[in-house]
Amino acid sequence: MTDLATTGRSLPSPFAAVLAYTLRACLPAKRWFGVLLPCVGALLFGWLTVALDGPSQQQDFADIAELGLFALILPLTCLVIGDAVLGADVRAGTFQLTWLSPVPFRTIVLGRWLGGWLVALVTLVPALAIAALFGGVSDAAGSMALAGLFGSGAYLALFMMLGVVTRRSALWSLAVVLVGEWLLGANLSGVAQFSPRWEAQQVFAGLWDYGALLEREGMPLGWSAVVRLVVVGAVCLLVATWRLGHMRPVGVAD
Amino acid sequence: MADAPPHQLDPAFVSQPTVVASAVSIWFGPKVAVTELSCSFGAGVTGLLGPNGAGKTTLMRAICGLLPTNQGQVQVLGRDPRRDRSVQQAIALVPEDDAVPGALSARQLVRYTASLHSVRDRSAPDQCLATVGLLEVADRRVSGFSKGMRQRVKVAAALVTGPQVLVLDEPLNGADPVQRVTLIELFQALGRQGRTVIVSSHVLHEVERLAERQIVIIRGRLAAAGEHRAIRDSLLDRPRAVLVRTSDPRRLAADLIAVEAVAGVTIDGSGLVVSTPRAGEFAQALPSVARKAGARLREVRPLDDSLESVFRELLR
Repeated sequence: MTDLATTGRSLPSPFAAVLAYTLRACLPAKRWFGVLLPCVGALLFGWLTVALDGPSQQQDFADIAELGLFALILPLTCLVIGDAVLGADVRAGTFQLTWLSPVPFRTIVLGRWLGGWLVALVTLVPALAIAALFGGVSDAAGSMALAGLFGSGAYLALFMMLGVVTRRSALWSLAVVLVGEWLLGANLSGVAQFSPRWEAQQVFAGLWDYGALLEREGMPLGWSAVVRLVVVGAVCLLVATWRLGHMRPVGVAD
Repeated sequence: MADAPPHQLDPAFVSQPTVVASAVSIWFGPKVAVTELSCSFGAGVTGLLGPNGAGKTTLMRAICGLLPTNQGQVQVLGRDPRRDRSVQQAIALVPEDDAVPGALSARQLVRYTASLHSVRDRSAPDQCLATVGLLEVADRRVSGFSKGMRQRVKVAAALVTGPQVLVLDEPLNGADPVQRVTLIELFQALGRQGRTVIVSSHVLHEVERLAERQIVIIRGRLAAAGEHRAIRDSLLDRPRAVLVRTSDPRRLAADLIAVEAVAGVTIDGSGLVVSTPRAGEFAQALPSVARKAGARLREVRPLDDSLESVFRELLR
């Protein structure tokens, strides 16, 4: 009992505990497999650039980046991580362990998001940069890493929000990617303005020397797109924080 | 502490409550889980008794703030656990379900809970694991634990926060007899320390051992409350159907009709089904009536002695 002893070295702070829990409990071995698989896919996409017979290597990589890395690898990897750090925990009923504490919801959301972002930082971001190297466009590696870094941050916030707003969060997340971004975002600039996929692509386009190949009219470029991603991410995290205070964290079985 | 409710004589309420449920109703779509339930809990162990699906877990979750009430309100230490996060510092729940992250070790899990509650003592998690007898396996993953061990990990995770209000949902499920005794003694000790310990169970005798004061919930309604002896006595006097197998059913039936504690007798082959509103009195009278009738008793057993029937009777 805590009454018996009140001395000694302190335990981690609530924020550090939430962060450690995210890395330890939310991402078991199976989830890591789900994270690493698309990262391997990113490397293969990079290799594919060499095999393409386009007008230039830059053009080939731009095509691969648009259709493979930004449309597929980035959202799918973030979906696996984003669902793991909150939605899956809520569905399993294990989130009540965290919910039943005096820790403010914003601390919980921020800790979970940061944990997920760290995972993306050591898996997805390097994979995207290496894909550029494999594709023979080493000058694109830095911008690709930055696009992955900020794009994954916004995506994770989006998927975390869906994890607490919807019951079948993985399904809804997939629907947002397929219908919202692939279908509507590709055709409607207004929708793309809020899409992590399109904004991340614009970050890359704005920072890469050959980015004009990927530029999309009417959308911010480079660091302006980074600001947009930060805004999208922040809004999603705020909604997730608000939602935690109104949810019933008792699991689907109940 | 919350103000004492104006029901001083009502056994559903205590004079110095820490937890107060006032006209609480909770429903899930068309299913009503708790209906107009009012009661309070104070220092010591209180048993929350009721058959499966009675609404015990729903009420406990509402007390912890996990579920909002549709009507009425729950107050813990004078605050709304759903709206005031600070009250979570004083509450701990041991849920019935396996809501524990299996990827963590027992030590990691208890340390996590301790950190969330800003427990300052680094040795507190190990002390709590030792209290529930899991220190030796503290580094094993919870996913490899038996149900009883998982239950004890949850108890340790609840204890480490030093809660003023401890809510235990079927905490003895899966525990072996020795563990049961240990846990019961632990909960009683916590109650003696002045903590509010709310323990749910659908096993009557288990709660009797645990708690002097009991609250019985059936179909989401408050069915009985008070000292367990008073509740038990009221249960003994409920109408029952008793099967009596005898060598001479017709003769015994004729004599039993005259017994005051017998409401009716039906002959069923070699047996009699006796309906009695006062089972205790009937049990005392039966041997002498059988002796006088010259009938040998071969079997006497209640036909409706399941806990469900007991609870149903309470609700009537």
